[in-house]
Amino acid sequence: MAERVKTDIGKAAAALDLDTELMVRLKEGDGASFGVLLEKHRLSVVHFLYRMVQNYAVAEELAQEVFLRVYRSRSTYEPTAKFTTWLFRIATHLALNALRDGKNERLQERLDDDTSDMPVRQVSDRRPSVEQSMVYQAKLDEIRRAIAALPEKQRAAVLMHKYEEMEYSQIAKVLSCSESAVKSLLFRAYEALRARLAHMA
Amino acid sequence: MNCPMESRENAQLLVDYCAGKLDPEWEARLDGHIATCAACGEFARRQRAVWEALDGWDAAPVSADFDRRLYRRIEAQVSWWDLLVRPFRSPLGTVTPRRTLAGAAAACLLLTAGILLERPAISPAPAPNEMAQVDTVQPEQVERTLDAMEMLNEFSHHVRTEGSGSKL
Repeated sequence: MAERVKTDIGKAAAALDLDTELMVRLKEGDGASFGVLLEKHRLSVVHFLYRMVQNYAVAEELAQEVFLRVYRSRSTYEPTAKFTTWLFRIATHLALNALRDGKNERLQERLDDDTSDMPVRQVSDRRPSVEQSMVYQAKLDEIRRAIAALPEKQRAAVLMHKYEEMEYSQIAKVLSCSESAVKSLLFRAYEALRARLAHMA
Repeated sequence: MNCPMESRENAQLLVDYCAGKLDPEWEARLDGHIATCAACGEFARRQRAVWEALDGWDAAPVSADFDRRLYRRIEAQVSWWDLLVRPFRSPLGTVTPRRTLAGAAAACLLLTAGILLERPAISPAPAPNEMAQVDTVQPEQVERTLDAMEMLNEFSHHVRTEGSGSKL
């Protein structure tokens, strides 16, 4: 089925080269390369972790740990896999550990909150009405609950597939499983999400 | 074409179709199929609804001081290494082979002392339920040990690098 799915090999290879080159430069002592990697991947790592643990403070703390581990591993880094695969492997590992350790025990509490930590939607010309805001928050809450209800691995797979636009092979490497296992995880996850969110159309 | 809903493997095609991830040839094939297949049409409608709902989940911008906090942590760690390596440096700032050996020995000594201090006193064999409790703390211990190994690895690399520098 792989040939049925669009792949942008040129773009991916270029990105692979750049990230790998930056890591190799960092290994050789060029500290500025770390800054470039951080700038490039900071947002996606924090957002992935936020959607996994659904708590901004915990997500940022975990993201700091991810980049700290990247920096600490610079001397032993070997470019055997795509940089983002390695990066998200660290991020997923930390997120799963945090979920299991109960670091996100405030999750349910947060979901029941008035979602005050949620981003403010930028509307260029006019502010949303109170009713619009309430509808938006209610929908957001439903989405967050639906994602939070997924088993951890299914959640990670959906987030990487949907928001990081990763291919099945890369998700498989991040989660250390086969491509068919990833497809199965995604199928079950989307099945659950369709049952909970399809009415939102 | 066969209906993708006939197998789970092919149903994944519909997920890719709704995500706009199919190549144009397969997209056209599914367009044609969905126009005549009610089950696939319904599946696609519901999957698109999920996709659009997830699109609406914005994440907040990262804190303004994220980088500053990270660099402070990195700096603290580097300073820690400097402190550790400082006693083994020669006056010229290089690490001599003899000093390197002494450093490695000291690091081993520290690690051994750490392990011995962490070990609980010898006591009679625990009851089965106590053993279960011990099992529950193991992942944290493993995590700590891995961190310690990682730091030692980096320390030896650091020392090796400086050692080779001193030979030059």
